[in-house]
Amino acid sequence: MTDTEDLLNETVLPEDLKKYEKVYHEQLHGGSVTRQAQFNYAWCLVRSKFPVDIRKGIILLEELFRSAADAEDERRDYLYYLALGNCRIKEFSAALQYTSAFLEIEPGNAQVKTLEEVIRKKMEKAEIQEGIKGIAIISGVVLALGSIVGLGMALSKK
Amino acid sequence: MSAGPYNYEYIFKYIIIGDMGVGKSCLLHQFTDKKFMADCPHTIGVEFGTRIIDVAGQKVKLQIWDTAGQERFRAVTRSYYRGAAGALMVYDITRRSTYNHLSSWLTDTRTLTNPSTVIFLIGNKCDLDSADGSQRDVTYEEAKQFADENGLMFVEASAKTGDNVEEAFLETAKKIYQSIQDGRLDLNAAESGVQHKPPQLGSDFTPNKDPCSC
Repeated sequence: MTDTEDLLNETVLPEDLKKYEKVYHEQLHGGSVTRQAQFNYAWCLVRSKFPVDIRKGIILLEELFRSAADAEDERRDYLYYLALGNCRIKEFSAALQYTSAFLEIEPGNAQVKTLEEVIRKKMEKAEIQEGIKGIAIISGVVLALGSIVGLGMALSKK
Repeated sequence: MSAGPYNYEYIFKYIIIGDMGVGKSCLLHQFTDKKFMADCPHTIGVEFGTRIIDVAGQKVKLQIWDTAGQERFRAVTRSYYRGAAGALMVYDITRRSTYNHLSSWLTDTRTLTNPSTVIFLIGNKCDLDSADGSQRDVTYEEAKQFADENGLMFVEASAKTGDNVEEAFLETAKKIYQSIQDGRLDLNAAESGVQHKPPQLGSDFTPNKDPCSC
């Protein structure tokens, strides 16, 4: 299980990101971007350390997914990386939508099933952490209230 | 459970490369899960697997990057070659074209890895070479010659039956370990593909079995 987590933690080398960014922008200025160039760039972006890059990669992949209506074999790749990118920015529900869309096309795909499992685990973990934070806030409030009440009582006794 | 997060001494990074459909992912699954995945779909980008093995009494964690063989992944998968200590280069003994493309895979490997990277050639699907009605398209001898000429290690294997799969992964690790021992592989080099984990103090680090000298 930790295997796919390592896959999610692996990040792109800055020089690779720059390289494919350059190709993409050159084509963009030239007026037409090939799906290959856009995919190479998007693939690097969703593996970036920075959420802002990942979000950009997701937009590019969404575009690719729409434009590749005729190419089922490419769409599966886009769905996979959309799931991975969304998971990396903790958009777990979106990520799970992409894995389930993928599994509708290819129900038995082990690579995607593993990714889905990891997303679920990460989501649970995040929810537990949120819960702990919530409890911490509530107990903080209770303590504060308690001290105010205590102070009030002390004052009223005077 | 041991107290430390590491129950191994070294990490070796591997990559698996070769044409589409030669059985790269199946070899990985056979090695990590000891199972054959029938009708394995095309890998998307890269897959990842690990297994801890024993090399000369040392625990080594293999960190294996299995690359997609489809052409459209070729550009980006190249970045996974960097820092690989071992490269398993796979062809399909029943499809000549996958063998003919080896020189291009080899060029990529040599360009993108370092001189100490161990390259192991695997002729997969040797189970399809049965006495009655063999589908073999590449002879053992010519592949062996290609391997010798290029200084590669070589076996024919079957991800389906498991034949020689362990051997390929383990022999590669032994060779890497030897390079460390000989000092040919510099552990401090950024892209050696090997990480050394210092033993955890007070956890699973057991000094010699000698009675303590107190």
